[in-house]
Amino acid sequence: NGFLYSYLHLNHLSRQVLTGSLQPGSVAPNSVSLSIKGRRFPSITLQPTGRRFQVTCATKQETVQKVCDIVKKQLALPEGSSVTGESKFAALGADSLDTVEIVMGLEEEFGISVEEESAQSITTVQEAADMIDKLLESKTD
Amino acid sequence: MSSLLDKARLMMNIHCLGRNLVTASSSLHHVQLPGQKEAHFWYVLPDEIKDTNLLNQYFEILSPSEKENVFRMSGERLKKRAILARALVRTTLARYQTNCQIDPKALRFKKNSYGKPEVDWQYTEDWSLPQLHFNLSHTSSLIACGVTVGSPIGIDVEEKQRRLKNDVLAFARRYFSPDEIEMLTQIADPELRRLELIKLWTLKEAYVKAVGKGFSNSPFNTFTVRLGHRTKTGIHLRPPVMSKAQEITVEPPDESKNVSGNWQFVLLELDGSHYAAICIEQESTNRGKGSIPVNLKLRKTIPFVEDECILGTEKAVVISGLTTLLECE
Repeated sequence: NGFLYSYLHLNHLSRQVLTGSLQPGSVAPNSVSLSIKGRRFPSITLQPTGRRFQVTCATKQETVQKVCDIVKKQLALPEGSSVTGESKFAALGADSLDTVEIVMGLEEEFGISVEEESAQSITTVQEAADMIDKLLESKTD
Repeated sequence: MSSLLDKARLMMNIHCLGRNLVTASSSLHHVQLPGQKEAHFWYVLPDEIKDTNLLNQYFEILSPSEKENVFRMSGERLKKRAILARALVRTTLARYQTNCQIDPKALRFKKNSYGKPEVDWQYTEDWSLPQLHFNLSHTSSLIACGVTVGSPIGIDVEEKQRRLKNDVLAFARRYFSPDEIEMLTQIADPELRRLELIKLWTLKEAYVKAVGKGFSNSPFNTFTVRLGHRTKTGIHLRPPVMSKAQEITVEPPDESKNVSGNWQFVLLELDGSHYAAICIEQESTNRGKGSIPVNLKLRKTIPFVEDECILGTEKAVVISGLTTLLECE
């Protein structure tokens, strides 16, 4: 299965690089070598595209980190799993039950109360962190 | 001399033959559309699908944006699940074409104004079945697609073994309605309580997905689902005695308790390991007259390989909700 995805991914990525449509933030390997049915192919080197520099001043990095930790715990992700602000819950394998449990964990951790309407509609770590910081801010007002 | 109609049929058959030779979908078994008050439930078990060539076939019928989404998934297992989910929807819907086989790749999807996925008939070539509704749900070990004609449908599946990270009652107090919390509190055994919570969760999810207006518009604590008493088999082979106790009902809290609303539910146990909830809209003519069972065709599938009609064996047990399991053709 690992071979299939590497092959498909490489195919897809190389097409994107050629057409200039590679998304910033995509993880693109610099070089991949494939061995198909015993034949070896020369290594293919992809030029990395310039990554757009993302600045998030509004949200504290600390908040994002705490959210990442809670998400990792809820989804029982293996050690070393990459979870960042951009991570989508669904892409990490969270279903709606996980999402509401994550919200419960966040409420406990930060001492906040999330509105019903928002609880099931948060989809990324960043969205959660933004919401938390906003709620914390309004608490201190 | 053939009539004009025979000529037309002949032309269509030749046309179809040509298409079947070209598309990979010729190995999809065609099925009849669901009738009124009928739902079709198709499911696939990811652990049964290990053939890389087959997965590649599934991957190939996905749209570019679906393929992108697969790559965004973290890890092989989630990528496989994403491929299977989209392949299940596409191959399932493709079977209902009444003339010749539609290419599952030809289906185009869009989202309604609340984000619920539906078929975009305008951009799906050669085929139009605007009354066809579907809904998808997946856990790591089971992916399901429900199909109806003329009625919105919502489904949800969950592993029976699903452990919450939170205490069951704490969770219920946070998210469920007062009546549901009360009902759960009354259950003494923690394991039974957990199972009941999972059942309620799947039913509530199925309901919100059927309504199709997003979770923000139907927060879980604003409606109550009541499970009727458990019947022995719940499967009826001829018109059953109408018993309110066997029904699953949903109550908005601000309406009279006698009004059950437009929605009809089925709760199944699949393979002894999963709960599956199905919610469809009841015909307005039947409202308030007591319920007619939902006709259900249950099929386990490995798209392009084999389909199995599930008929009330230990593979599928109706736990609640008036249901008649039908034979598939």
